[in-house]
Amino acid sequence: MRQSKLALAAGYTALILISILFVVPFVWLLRSSLMDLSQIFSMPPEWVPKPFHWDNFRRSLTVLPFDVFFTNTMIIVVGVLIGTVATSSIAAFGFSRIRWRGRDTVFAILMTSMMLPFAVTMIPSFLGWKMLGFYDTLYPLIVPAYFGGGIFNIFLLRQFYLTIPRDFDEAAFVDGASYFQIYRSIIFPLSRSALIVVALFSFLGSWNDFIGPLIYLKSDKLFTLALGLQMFQGTYTAQWDLLMAASAAVVLPCVIVFLVGQRYFLDGITLTGLKG
Amino acid sequence: MKRQKKTVMALIALLLIFAAVMSACAKSGTENGPSSPSASGTSSASGASGASGSKDPIKLRMTVWGSPEEVAAYKFAIKRFETKYPNIKVDLQHIAADYDTKLTTMVAGNDVPDIAMMESGSIAYPLAEQGKFYNLQEFLDKDSDINMDSLVPNIMYSLEPGNVIGIGPGPESFGLFYNEDLFKEAGISPPPTKLSEAWTWDEFIEVAKQLTVDTKGRTANDPGFDPKNIKQYGVSASTWWGVYSNFIYSNGGDFVSEDGKSFALNQPAAVEALQKISDMMNVHHVSPSPVQAKNIPATNVALQTKKVAMAIDGQWATAGLAQSKFNFNVGVMPVLKEPVTTVVCGMFSMFKSTKHPQEAWELMKALIDPEASIEMITSGTWMPSYKDWYTEPAMLSKWTENLDARPSGYKDAIVDVILTKGHQTPTGYVKNFNKIMDIVNPALDKVWLGQQTAQEAMDAIADKAQQQVKGRRDIK
Amino acid sequence: MRKGLGYGLLFTSPAILGFIIFTLGPMIASLGLSLTDYSVFKDRTSFIGFDNYAKLFSGEDDLFYKSLGVTFYFVILRVPAVIIISFAIALLLNMNVKGRAIFRTIIYLPSIVPAVASAMIWMWLMNPDLGLLNSMLGWLHLPGSNWLYSEGSVIPSVVLTTLWGIGSTVIIFLAGLSGIPQSYYEAIEVDGGGWYSKLRQITIPMVTPTLFFNTIMTIIGSFQVFNEAYILTQGGPNNQSLFYVFYLWRAGFRDTEMGYASALAWVLFLIIMLFTFIVFKTSKSWVYYEGGERP
Repeated sequence: MRQSKLALAAGYTALILISILFVVPFVWLLRSSLMDLSQIFSMPPEWVPKPFHWDNFRRSLTVLPFDVFFTNTMIIVVGVLIGTVATSSIAAFGFSRIRWRGRDTVFAILMTSMMLPFAVTMIPSFLGWKMLGFYDTLYPLIVPAYFGGGIFNIFLLRQFYLTIPRDFDEAAFVDGASYFQIYRSIIFPLSRSALIVVALFSFLGSWNDFIGPLIYLKSDKLFTLALGLQMFQGTYTAQWDLLMAASAAVVLPCVIVFLVGQRYFLDGITLTGLKG
Repeated sequence: MKRQKKTVMALIALLLIFAAVMSACAKSGTENGPSSPSASGTSSASGASGASGSKDPIKLRMTVWGSPEEVAAYKFAIKRFETKYPNIKVDLQHIAADYDTKLTTMVAGNDVPDIAMMESGSIAYPLAEQGKFYNLQEFLDKDSDINMDSLVPNIMYSLEPGNVIGIGPGPESFGLFYNEDLFKEAGISPPPTKLSEAWTWDEFIEVAKQLTVDTKGRTANDPGFDPKNIKQYGVSASTWWGVYSNFIYSNGGDFVSEDGKSFALNQPAAVEALQKISDMMNVHHVSPSPVQAKNIPATNVALQTKKVAMAIDGQWATAGLAQSKFNFNVGVMPVLKEPVTTVVCGMFSMFKSTKHPQEAWELMKALIDPEASIEMITSGTWMPSYKDWYTEPAMLSKWTENLDARPSGYKDAIVDVILTKGHQTPTGYVKNFNKIMDIVNPALDKVWLGQQTAQEAMDAIADKAQQQVKGRRDIK
Repeated sequence: MRKGLGYGLLFTSPAILGFIIFTLGPMIASLGLSLTDYSVFKDRTSFIGFDNYAKLFSGEDDLFYKSLGVTFYFVILRVPAVIIISFAIALLLNMNVKGRAIFRTIIYLPSIVPAVASAMIWMWLMNPDLGLLNSMLGWLHLPGSNWLYSEGSVIPSVVLTTLWGIGSTVIIFLAGLSGIPQSYYEAIEVDGGGWYSKLRQITIPMVTPTLFFNTIMTIIGSFQVFNEAYILTQGGPNNQSLFYVFYLWRAGFRDTEMGYASALAWVLFLIIMLFTFIVFKTSKSWVYYEGGERP
């Protein structure tokens, strides 16, 4: 798209202003992670640590077995990511590119799974997993991803699949292609940007999930990073300096994954070769 | 055709992944099944003869919350315990956040620990009311090492008289912390440490006024004092019930009446105390209002950076104060009618479902033994639970002398007061406390902001609060 | 078009199975529990019919109406704000500017900063005396606000804090925008249309599928607002931010009245379903699928 110089300048200005607003919490986290307790809470706030307490990182990451937490988190994140991307895109295909009786009713029923507050389904879910003997294993955190990966993701992909012109399928049908082939060779590649969004969300979602691990895990050898972060909170006070340092360390991989991941959907790869 | 084959292969591969995952689940399910703690509890039930001398291996489970230091203290206590009882293994489960949520799901799943750390204001009483806890009185009566009298008063929680549901690892009381340098600079004598010399409320406010300074250097006594731009407050006190309960009790008031039948925060004694606290913020301007209090950091930082001259806070603040290197000290809180401090503490409770009550009791004793948690006590966070640590000079000196966390006023202002003038926390004896406070707290918000007098606010909700009054636990 | 029932079920079977295995059971359980006096700690649970619902609607529990009102107010303020602002930001980020990878990442950053850390910063930003927001208003000679700390302004303030978390909504809009073929815009340029024509005739119609998605998800998410009350306000001041799910959680876990909490949850379920249904129904007239599919 061609843009006038004026529009570009206005755009830059707006972007920079918004970015300043949005970067504040992260900068706050970073600067707090390098401060001692009294400086973290100084009012009005100080932005530059004095001195830089690099030691916070070493202390916070060694006082708890963060290597174990990291391994567990990675197992969950990778497991969930594969399951979500694979099965949510298949299901979304079924809900958008195939016409069948009752399709929209089934979809509406699946949508209801997002409408009941988790607080009241939590205990029944926990009891179910426990009955099956999976309490204190990572399975309750991973396996559901292989069954559709959550209606949020299916819904999101469905919306994208619906925008792909029908002519593509029709043409393929004429050539004798099956639904599987259409999914694999047309829809899947064309919706890559949406799939990457789903992958990112699923990565970040399970990376930061706290309540799931809290409920389903018992032994600390299975604990995740999100659970480990909470351990700096004491009865009367929290060790804010260590908490902030550990939080920063845990958030950093997310930032990197995002930085890398977003370039795949931002550059409009999707539509190369697609002429509406 | 080739393509189709590929697709089929991909689908088969996917199905295989499902199958692998599911079978792995199923397998581990059967493998893990018998070794899961709840099951092992039953399998070792045969060894539960009750005597601590039993040689069969026993496993006890306990859940706690707390910072890494606090958990380290529990681990130390457990290690001592395991050395003494080599046949017992203790599995410590650290639930750092949302403890109540986690414990509730554990109860729902019949997977409770033998001993759990509990808090009187949350789910401890609901659990006890359903008969989930042992009455520890039975153990105390039979025990040769400790009894009711050997423990500091007010660290036991009872469902009703004679039914002890939990014992605290250590009490916490309140004091008036202050920055010594500020008092020296202002030429004012610091808060007294002896109860007999305690300030009256008016004396306290007077001192606080002299120490409240606006950005132009005027104190609250000076003409032209600008209460909107205060640089240094005379005193900070949170609007948490733990803090203001001290003054309600000191004024002879209470949350509910003595017979437990009526709501009492609208009675003159309580109202007067609440109003005094509101006036401190809104009339005298010597203390930050709840809104301004958002600027005030934790007590140690607030005192060190001279944001406030004095702070009413729990004795646990000494741990933070000890780490901030400045001259702090502690005095007794001002007295309205009677000198009183509210005593708050967590507790250890024993689940009825334990297969080894006697061993669990021994573990509980090991946990509350001050010798085991000496580091938490000397660092300032805790106080000992055994009375002789307060009364025997040799033991007292172990945790009150030559320590950063224990300034010169500590023995008089904290140690003496908690033994003689302690008052149980309202969560320990007011039934249905949370529901009452759900009604009281929103009304108090208006009092703290000076929008309503304490009398108006409490009268307005008295009927609704009365409906939630369900009696007291400390009377039959 | 070939008949697809068999294929349709085949493709959607993982999701359907997942729903039946992992979701349906707990949902039915909670519906059943809402007809009982279930408390996790009680050994005995009795069936009490619609007593919990009767208690809700009888007016006996005025916090029910309070929390419902508070939540509606929040939803009404938040949904349009999130949609409009995140769409505007997405348009900006979709421009061909240098360093947009960095800009996009920055917009998403607040969504991944742990809540305990960001809660601290809201406390400061919205601090009536020293906070940045009031200082900025002061420079503009505007009166300050007590933000999170006064009854009148707490809900708008919470809405404001949640706007920092719109990263994922923006990303979804971006993914939608990136799917619009350049050639469409070129066609408008040939006809001599400016940016407004492009926005009206191309961008907005083409982005309606994602707009639809974001609207539904924002409505569902806003009705279930919980963390802000749990971490920032505890429902105060004077119950003015007593969000529905926070109240429900308090009833179920702190007061151990899980049966009652389940009844509360199902009332909310019906409300959310109603709103979702309305949006789905109206979508026929405004959502445009290039695939030719009617939603």
